[in-house]
Amino acid sequence: MHTASTRIDEYSLAIDTSAGTSVAVLSMGTVLAELNYPEPMTHSERIGAAIEKVLADAGVRPGQVSFVVAGVGPGPFTGLRVGLAAAQFFALGAKADLVAVCSLDAIALDYFQANPGSRALLVSTDARRKEVFWASYQGVANGIPVRVLGPSVNKPENLGEFINLAEHEVTELVVRAGALGEIAFAQSLTELGPNRDLTPIYLREPDAVPTKPKKVSG
Amino acid sequence: MSFLIREATVDDLAQIMILETECFVNDAWSEEMMRDELAAAHTYYLVALEGDEVVGYAGLSKLAGSDQADIQTIASSPRKRGLGIGRALMFALTVEANALGAKEIFLEVRADNPIAQKLYKVFGFRQIGVRKKYYQPDGVDAFVMKTESLVPPKTEPIVLGIETSCDETGIGIVRGNTLLANIISSSMEQHAIFGGVVPEVAARAHLEALTPVLDEALDKAGISLDEIDAIAVTNGPGLAGALMVGVGAAKALAVATGKPIYAVNHLVGHVGADILDQGKIELPTIALLVSGGHTSLLMVRDLLDDVVLLGETIDDAAGEAFDKVARVLGLSYPGGPEIDRVAKEGNPQAIRFPRGLSLPKDMAEHRYDFSFSGLKTAVARHVELAEFKNEEVPVADVAASFREAVVDVLITKAIAACKDHDVPRLLLGGGVVANSRLREVALVKCAEAGISLRIPALSLCTDNGAMIAALGAQLVMAGRAPSSLDFSAESTLPVTRVQS
Repeated sequence: MHTASTRIDEYSLAIDTSAGTSVAVLSMGTVLAELNYPEPMTHSERIGAAIEKVLADAGVRPGQVSFVVAGVGPGPFTGLRVGLAAAQFFALGAKADLVAVCSLDAIALDYFQANPGSRALLVSTDARRKEVFWASYQGVANGIPVRVLGPSVNKPENLGEFINLAEHEVTELVVRAGALGEIAFAQSLTELGPNRDLTPIYLREPDAVPTKPKKVSG
Repeated sequence: MSFLIREATVDDLAQIMILETECFVNDAWSEEMMRDELAAAHTYYLVALEGDEVVGYAGLSKLAGSDQADIQTIASSPRKRGLGIGRALMFALTVEANALGAKEIFLEVRADNPIAQKLYKVFGFRQIGVRKKYYQPDGVDAFVMKTESLVPPKTEPIVLGIETSCDETGIGIVRGNTLLANIISSSMEQHAIFGGVVPEVAARAHLEALTPVLDEALDKAGISLDEIDAIAVTNGPGLAGALMVGVGAAKALAVATGKPIYAVNHLVGHVGADILDQGKIELPTIALLVSGGHTSLLMVRDLLDDVVLLGETIDDAAGEAFDKVARVLGLSYPGGPEIDRVAKEGNPQAIRFPRGLSLPKDMAEHRYDFSFSGLKTAVARHVELAEFKNEEVPVADVAASFREAVVDVLITKAIAACKDHDVPRLLLGGGVVANSRLREVALVKCAEAGISLRIPALSLCTDNGAMIAALGAQLVMAGRAPSSLDFSAESTLPVTRVQS
């Protein structure tokens, strides 16, 4: 859901836990400070001190943050939720607005910025169970990676035609919160405005099936 | 903690000297020195009393015109350790030093007394120097410590509690020992088709419920986030992925609002819930916590410092057994209320189902442990046999007899714990307390055994954020330092760790 344009000016705090733990503070779309902890499985330990430190590094008080940018995945669910829970409650505590960005978009933005001139890109990350989360992009417009397909989850062997379409492929695990913040700022300048739907991009139903009680007597 | 603290007078001298010589064997002050200290204009001495007996004392020195105060001495009876006497005395001295206009407090502590050093650290004291061989004749060094934390902890702090350890998203708000709000959003209905809690389903539901539940709790309490003094959050035991949602949210809220955070133990929270029901908690007590995730028997001498796990289930939790048996009987989820309903029409003596870990040989090794998996299997066999014989399954009798077996074991073991430990108090907690037969039998058996029974209101027995807030408030009022921001969610957090 995109709503009418609100420009993300003053300060924003970006949080992503779809891969490691990444936090950044931005002013008018420019990264002032960023911290990346690549280890998976440590999100709930890291998140509090990481936010506190990145704000201190940027010299910004929590009350000065007017937007919280949350990476909504896709990514491993347990870690992803830590960042989304933190984003929700930081926004409530700091009386800030909440906006969402697809985490794979951050990888695409970093790639296009590092490789100017390239166009077709496939981003895929490990989704476990021999599957990948993926999305494909066609360059950057107005500071926003142009996503043409995805995000979705598939077995890599079923991605053949998309891989052939893409000139480049990134299988990156680093999602920079700074890049998410830059995208959110760029989106806020467009007519559509930033995305305010914080629903996590799970792409899979919970792993449980209704069962019947088992017989105990043979 | 049945002691009180008042200002000392010279009349207390004789009793103080008994403790002085007992606590400081080689370097006790003389009676004259102590008399001068008590009488001096620039000192402030306190005694802790249990009845008429002096069980602790402490003194502060603060010269007029100086903004520094010194803790002169502090002692508590070696027979009364663990009651929080030293902590209470320190608290009172800090309050007085602040009232007298001190900006910092100094003290000396024996280098070989880590327990005392730990207590002082709670009050913000940090080591600033060493006096070599200060304590004679023992030749032990003194650490000089100083604190600038003179703002005493609030007497009635407003604490927000966040609970996400299983399938209930709970946010509660308390002021001291008073309940202000207790909002719960349960994902129980989403688990019904699976016959039990699915961790991923529960965790997704927590993330969706957090913000609306917080908004509702603030609204109910009629306060804003700015008015909150501290945040408490369950960091275990429970489902890891579910716990992490609450932990992540609580940490971010703490940073955003600049409020201290307290990571607290879910099971001890259940015990603390009683504070909200009656404004206090009577200790020591045995606590029986029975839910879909836990079946634990605790010995609680001090809510913050002395909680011991006597026993727990070695397989299914009691609530889980209710769910599984309900499925076997074709009843809906959650099983507890359904079995309770159906059992009312049945005969609890119709079938003698096994009482887990109750045989003499089991009682030797597992006196306070529980096992419900054998019982569940026995019920299933009984039902399958009836079906095999094409007989109608006597659902009401099976439900009543199963319920009787569970309740019998729970209450028998809890009462044994009370008797063995000479503690005439039993506190019930956890969702299974909703079971009418459990409450009935507990009332009767406790009355017979001369044990006083506490059952908090059901909304405080099931998982909730208010009990977490209540435990957090106890920590704040005791002057405990907040948790560091990097604590973990621990699915198997031991009950002995009240705060992480």
